Amino acid sequence: MEYEYWLAAMSMLPDRKKYLLRSHMKSAKAAYYIEETELGRLSFLNEKDCHTIKQARKDWDVPARYEALCKRGIRLVTVFDGEYPKRLGQLSDKPYALYVKGRLPDEQSCSVAVVGARRCTPYGEKYACDFSRRLAECGVQVISGLARGIDGMGHRGALMGKGKTFAVMGNGVDICYPQEHIGLYEDILACGGGILSELPPGTPPQGYHFPRRNRIISGLSDVVLVMEAKEKSGSLITADFGLEQGRDVYALPGPIDSGLSGGCNRLIAQGAGILLSPELLLEELEISGNLISGNISQKRLETEKVLETKEDMVYSSVCLQPKSVNDLIEETHLSAKEVLGSLAVLEIEGHVRQISKNHYVRS
Amino acid sequence: MSFSTVLSASIVGLKVEPVHVEADVSNGLPAFNMVGYLSSEVKEAAERVRTAIRNSGLDYPAKRTVINLSPANVKKRGAAFDLPIAVAILISLGKIRQREVGGMLVIGELGLDGRVQKVPGVLPILLQAKENGVKKCLLPKENAPEGALVGGVSVIGVETLRDAVEYLVGNRVIKPERRHDMYEEESGEELMPDYADICGQAAVKRATEVAVAGGHNLLLVGPPGSGKTMTARRIPTIFPPMTREESMEITKVYSILGMVDSERPLIRKRPFRNVHHTASKAALVGGGAIPAPGEISLAHEGVLFLDELPEFSKNVLEALRQPLEERKVYVARAHGTYQFPANFMLVGAMNPCPCGCYPDMNRCTCTPGQIQHYLSKLSQPFLDRMDICVEAPKVGYESLAGKGREECSAAIRERVCKARAIQNDRYAGSELLSNAMLGTKEIKRYCALGGKEERMMQKAFSRLGLTARTYHKILKVARTIADLDGAGQIGSVHLQEAIGYRTLDKKYWGR
Repeated sequence: MEYEYWLAAMSMLPDRKKYLLRSHMKSAKAAYYIEETELGRLSFLNEKDCHTIKQARKDWDVPARYEALCKRGIRLVTVFDGEYPKRLGQLSDKPYALYVKGRLPDEQSCSVAVVGARRCTPYGEKYACDFSRRLAECGVQVISGLARGIDGMGHRGALMGKGKTFAVMGNGVDICYPQEHIGLYEDILACGGGILSELPPGTPPQGYHFPRRNRIISGLSDVVLVMEAKEKSGSLITADFGLEQGRDVYALPGPIDSGLSGGCNRLIAQGAGILLSPELLLEELEISGNLISGNISQKRLETEKVLETKEDMVYSSVCLQPKSVNDLIEETHLSAKEVLGSLAVLEIEGHVRQISKNHYVRS
Repeated sequence: MSFSTVLSASIVGLKVEPVHVEADVSNGLPAFNMVGYLSSEVKEAAERVRTAIRNSGLDYPAKRTVINLSPANVKKRGAAFDLPIAVAILISLGKIRQREVGGMLVIGELGLDGRVQKVPGVLPILLQAKENGVKKCLLPKENAPEGALVGGVSVIGVETLRDAVEYLVGNRVIKPERRHDMYEEESGEELMPDYADICGQAAVKRATEVAVAGGHNLLLVGPPGSGKTMTARRIPTIFPPMTREESMEITKVYSILGMVDSERPLIRKRPFRNVHHTASKAALVGGGAIPAPGEISLAHEGVLFLDELPEFSKNVLEALRQPLEERKVYVARAHGTYQFPANFMLVGAMNPCPCGCYPDMNRCTCTPGQIQHYLSKLSQPFLDRMDICVEAPKVGYESLAGKGREECSAAIRERVCKARAIQNDRYAGSELLSNAMLGTKEIKRYCALGGKEERMMQKAFSRLGLTARTYHKILKVARTIADLDGAGQIGSVHLQEAIGYRTLDKKYWGR
């Protein structure tokens, strides 16, 4: 395994050549001890590759590096391992190796990618969370990228649904990027999920890593859900990979004047599945789980019963589009103090959320 | 007679030091010497005085002149000693009799042609002089109305040195300036901006009403062009009317900086100071080698408005913390500590994010990192001094066209006055002036909650992630809202409204 790590971590050598070299030599150890003359004779390696390999042999302290890897609780899974995810194995552009903290997704259970914009609206956030939660409750694994915005909410929702969730990183698995998601990073591991990456530990996040890691997100999943995406968005790259890989793509419809739903609406227009409710999605995925239909409408009913008239008037004006106190005053024709008071009650009861100073959305 | 003395005064900070101007003209080598710890502008008086005397048609023989300004341990500054020096020399030369200036205070700057020009600080000097038993004051004509604000001192305004001499030798009668009670006059407030000009924006208006009623500092958060400045400008109009003492106190500060109107010196309008964010620490809290009052003292009993709060340099804002607590500011120098009044209401304004569009994600171009960076420019201790925080929304067309009848400042002011009166009764005999000044101990005493309210706050505390500080601020603001309502006990409606005004913890803000 020490030698496997040496071969996998050689970032200058393309995955395809690593694969050919490893298959030719039957083991990574053999590849490490290959005679220089023989190395030169291999048709698929050019001079530069040979130099890379020779240099890597010199620089790489094989046992020490491997020990350090194990100490950090990171496992290496290469395409030659039985453990390598079958879903990824089908891909033409499959990563040569995956570094894993925690676990790999279960092959038997359905897995769904939840992707979307980093800068998202409360609408996208809410439904990323809701869908992930409901899916996770029914045993579906949620795959995403630990980014800010939708990705983070997808993971969070899955954890709320007591399910497993996996994050595919655009950097080494030992680095938490973005930093503020360190709590989420730890929760994912604590709840039996995993942090995955094709990049060796210690690799810092780079802009060009992310589009490539998106193919792994879609590759590991059976279905790709796009929650919120602009017309030009990294999430659409994931959707494209998903389509190429033969995955079903679903998109969350949004207002036509919201730029952040433009990409999703376009996907739907082009024939992607439309996300209407978690229950309908579960039906389409033929996952029964313990379906509690009408979950959302039931909640609404309860809310109405508890709330007094003034609060109810205010609540019915609050939606997922952030509204300021002033908008609400104008809509309800109540006085400033009444609206502020009602909002405080709604906030305390957890029906609305203040996302910026005096801007409220439903929660 | 060759030796003479004339009473004048020097301003040190806000305090007035009596200064005796002594002159001695004797035979000897012609010379003009001035002593007495003088700053350079006082030393320059030599040239002005000699030339002015000559140009006033008076004879100035080539003699040895020595001027001393006593006490010698007080630094003398400013050009107000020109006139007393000239008078002292003329007494020494025998043109005026010494007894003519007995019990008289003389101040004024001289031009080379003998004109007497106005000087700053007349009001505080005369107030002090009156206390010291001065009966008469000779000062520049332009300063006469300001001097006349102090009753009990006969104020003689002169235009030229020649007038002064003629008055003093008795060749001419100048009537003392009549005391004009400007306090009783119409203050011209009808020309001020009014709340009726603001359409819509009910929440902001209400928040300012609460803030003024309880003396709370206010933070306005809103996109550019949302009328934050417009609203802030109108806040002074709902303050309770100024008392005579308050008027005099503010006029004193303005007088020292030479900022009073010659015709109508008494300041009757609550100050509104809009400070640009490039302001230095000295400009804001006061400073200089010999400290002069800063913007916070100019905003005394009024409103200090800081637009674009996060753009202010951090140490400037931190310097506001002490005056906000103590309601006055101390500027310490090696030669002494100066105290200036600073009982102002702080109104800050800021955007919710650098581009101003958050939380409209379709238009906001800021990353969470940028928003955090923007907010991090305000320290938490500084935010903790802002009791009320409210959003100033973007002004829509309807508000601009505004057909609705809006409440005018006078109506709001009436409610504010009532709430202030309740507070005055409650805090009579204590150091407190308003609800905003309540400390933790006083909050326990004056903001006691009933069982139902207690339970609500308990729930709010955990649900909304309040800190101990925000909790106390909510109670203080709720006390004010209850006072506006005329309620003795804080009810849940008051608490709920106060919760709406809480400053968001930076941790939860913009996430």
